[in-house]
Amino acid sequence: MKKSVKYIVFLAVVAVVAYNSVYFKALDEVKAGTSSFNAAKYAGEFWTARLIPALKKSVSYNVLLPLLQTEKDKAFEQYSHALGIGNIRYFLVKGEGEVISVDENEVIVRLDSAGQRPELRLATEYVFGNAVRDASGSLHINEFENSMDFNNVSAEINKIIRDKVIPPFRSKVKKGDVVSFHGAIELNREYLDLKRVEVIPVELRIKNEELRMKI
Amino acid sequence: MNIALYKSRLLRFQSLIALFILCLGLSILSDKFLTVSNLWNVMRQISVNICISTGMTLIVLTAGIDLSVGSVLALCGAITAGLLKNGIEIPSNNLYIGFTILGAVLAGVLTGSALGAFSGFTITRFKVPPFVATLAMLTVARGLTMLWTQGFPISGLGDKFLYFGTGWFLGIPVPVWISGIIVAVALFVTNKTRLGRYIYAIGGNESAAKLSGINVNKVKIIVYTIAGALAGIGGLLVTSRLDSAQPNAGISYELDSIAAVVIGGTSLSGGRGSILGTVQGAIIIGVLNNGLVLLNVSPFWQQVVKGLVILLAVIIDKSNSKND
Repeated sequence: MKKSVKYIVFLAVVAVVAYNSVYFKALDEVKAGTSSFNAAKYAGEFWTARLIPALKKSVSYNVLLPLLQTEKDKAFEQYSHALGIGNIRYFLVKGEGEVISVDENEVIVRLDSAGQRPELRLATEYVFGNAVRDASGSLHINEFENSMDFNNVSAEINKIIRDKVIPPFRSKVKKGDVVSFHGAIELNREYLDLKRVEVIPVELRIKNEELRMKI
Repeated sequence: MNIALYKSRLLRFQSLIALFILCLGLSILSDKFLTVSNLWNVMRQISVNICISTGMTLIVLTAGIDLSVGSVLALCGAITAGLLKNGIEIPSNNLYIGFTILGAVLAGVLTGSALGAFSGFTITRFKVPPFVATLAMLTVARGLTMLWTQGFPISGLGDKFLYFGTGWFLGIPVPVWISGIIVAVALFVTNKTRLGRYIYAIGGNESAAKLSGINVNKVKIIVYTIAGALAGIGGLLVTSRLDSAQPNAGISYELDSIAAVVIGGTSLSGGRGSILGTVQGAIIIGVLNNGLVLLNVSPFWQQVVKGLVILLAVIIDKSNSKND
């Protein structure tokens, strides 16, 4: 008798908790009430309306490199963007140089910068992260309902790069070509490493290819 | 005689003495350390570690260990956030199951309990060493978190939910209340109940405990289940505080938790230690973390310092065991 009372009380508690824990609705009803966010569409619009115009403001790596070497703080203040307050910041850069190596994952370009011959790596295989989204400084998390949508936009931007920017370049580029690029780089303000800088490309051109086509 | 007495008293209060010296040093080195806002911030941060370290203490008292608490915390936080934000959709039946805060929190905590129970089961049923079983669970839970979140944070959980991690009640942060209640219940369980006595007995001498009629396997499964549930509550606090369930949440929390337990004087070989000691250990770890940040120590050096502190605590523990 005592045991059965215990069970009844237990079941009653479970029932009350369950009743207050979940609710049921028709899925159509719920879907109708929420506007679904289309990250691909948003990324496409961002690309044409904001990112491409922002490329005009990108800093030449020939200008940025000496500034980073001599006045690091000024370089970061003037040219970098980031969402948070951390040391990782992003730059929209441009440059032109000679291809010195083409391998599976990247194309290495040697620039001629004020007597220095820095090498930059153009990513052609692994395009991840938020460098391009954040480097322009024109996209803010407040524009989104949640951070998942915001991150999905970044993933879609990277997809555009993988699908549309890299393949035509990757199929033609070879060692010795002169290429120009616009893209985003990520640098750590506290532990600045300029020996291995990777560019996530937004625009890529093979200059001598254009010349050949004109001829 | 007097020296022995002083020594035993010193050993009894070693964590408190260490904490006092640490606070004194930090208040001299940083003018921000002893501010009210910073101290409340420290208390909020250590609340999570106190939750998971309380469960870890129970496990370590049975001579076990749980390396999965950080991953379980992340999964529980993600489950809670995911259910609260998105519910469950069953398109084939045109059904949407929505979760209230109570439902989502319960689901998160129950997930933690279930994973803890599973670890306990594998340890007792298949005689898998706790280190290995919970290491496997660490990977499983992290993988499940990635699958559930698709690698993205789940954010925007609503103001009411944020109350757990950021709210105040009677002038004290809510996480501090929650961890305080957990500590009070754990103190009661370890000191005043049969289960508590069994836990100490198993850690002291498992064979003797078995021979004296204690259902060792059952007690161990209960202990791992409790630890899982407490990791779930830790996940709730982290998620609520950040208004976001991060797929990478809780990484290396198990180390902070084990550090708190060891620094608090609980023996890794089981049978000796206390919940209050662990609370002191968690405060020391929290204050140390906070102090290193305030002193602008590089994150890489912070890890080195924390590692050395843990090592020192284990050496002291070993030396105490020898003396005993």
